[in-house]
Amino acid sequence: MSKKEPHQDHLRQEELDTIALGGGSQLPARSSAHAADCERCRREAEELRRLHVALLALAPLQPMAGFADRVMRRVSLPLPWRVRVLEAVRAHWVATAAVFAGLAAAVGVGATWTARYPELTPVTVAAFLVERSTSLLWGAVMEIGRLVYGTGVVSTAQGLAEQVTLLTAFLAVATVTVVGLGALRIMLTLMNTSPGSRPATRG
Amino acid sequence: MSYGEHSDQDLARLCLKGDERAARELVERFQRPVYSLVYRMVRDRELAEDLTQEVFVRTFNNLQRYDRSYKFSSWLFKIAYNLTVDHLRKKQVKTISMHGSPDAVTAERQEATSLALESGEERPDAVVEARELAGYLEEAIGELRPEYRTAILLRHVEGRAYEEISDIMGVPLGTVKTYIFRARRELRDLLEDLRDEE
Repeated sequence: MSKKEPHQDHLRQEELDTIALGGGSQLPARSSAHAADCERCRREAEELRRLHVALLALAPLQPMAGFADRVMRRVSLPLPWRVRVLEAVRAHWVATAAVFAGLAAAVGVGATWTARYPELTPVTVAAFLVERSTSLLWGAVMEIGRLVYGTGVVSTAQGLAEQVTLLTAFLAVATVTVVGLGALRIMLTLMNTSPGSRPATRG
Repeated sequence: MSYGEHSDQDLARLCLKGDERAARELVERFQRPVYSLVYRMVRDRELAEDLTQEVFVRTFNNLQRYDRSYKFSSWLFKIAYNLTVDHLRKKQVKTISMHGSPDAVTAERQEATSLALESGEERPDAVVEARELAGYLEEAIGELRPEYRTAILLRHVEGRAYEEISDIMGVPLGTVKTYIFRARRELRDLLEDLRDEE
């Protein structure tokens, strides 16, 4: 095994670069020691430093006056959401009016119904409908289970009816929420793109 | 908090909400470095300005694609580099002289496209000396291949790290090191040649 000469491993390009750009203190101890000792590496680092200083001193170039204004005239930024909503309403005012009319009608009908039949509010009607449809659905599922798996398995499943109903209801609500959020996101993305942007012209 | 105190990333986020002042701040913050890089690639003031404008327009119009885990300036320089290189490829521009665009056919056009050096308040002889050195260097940089030129300007003038230059130019780190090493060697040789010629 041959012993290495003291100056055999000269500094690598990146190490010379680090010294030239003023980061000599970040070098590992071995490299710093070599840099202090090796005439050739010191000369190369110094040459590199001079080149770096010269490049750094190159005249700073500036575009012509009013550059930012010219850029801003050509840039299309997305509109703030309030403006986007107003513009969407303005562009689709018939659909918006129909939605609001529908909502107002629903509220009106609900209020009238509640006043007329206080014991049968829309909430109690909805709860009744949900309960009926759930029990019908559950009954159908049990019937199919009885046909396919026999009475034993179905009896066990019937014991879990309440939990299964709750789980199903939870899954249904979660699915509706996820789908709703997804639709909202798609709608916002669509509003954010082409129709909702305009050149930024203010000075 | 004034717009000047916001980070680049914050300003980009504000731009996505339609904030024009944030966009203007970004333009004012980066117009000089981007223009300098583009100018030194194409050597034509008007063309450099057009391309720089295009860089900012593309940047803002594609802001939704900006990944905020990267530096905004790297993304901006990447767009500038790609746009300028595309232009050079299409036009096959040989960018050499600091005395004006190679396409300039009249004295007025040469004047319009020539490099404008800013003068400070230094002594006249120091100004002349600095201009002379800057002239040599600009000319030598103009002789480099576009990729060498970009790499060395990003490293020494913009102070970008090797990894960042690799991201901006879309080449491996080793290639960036090679570009910079060769660019320095060529610059040294060219500077010596140019001085000998004088």
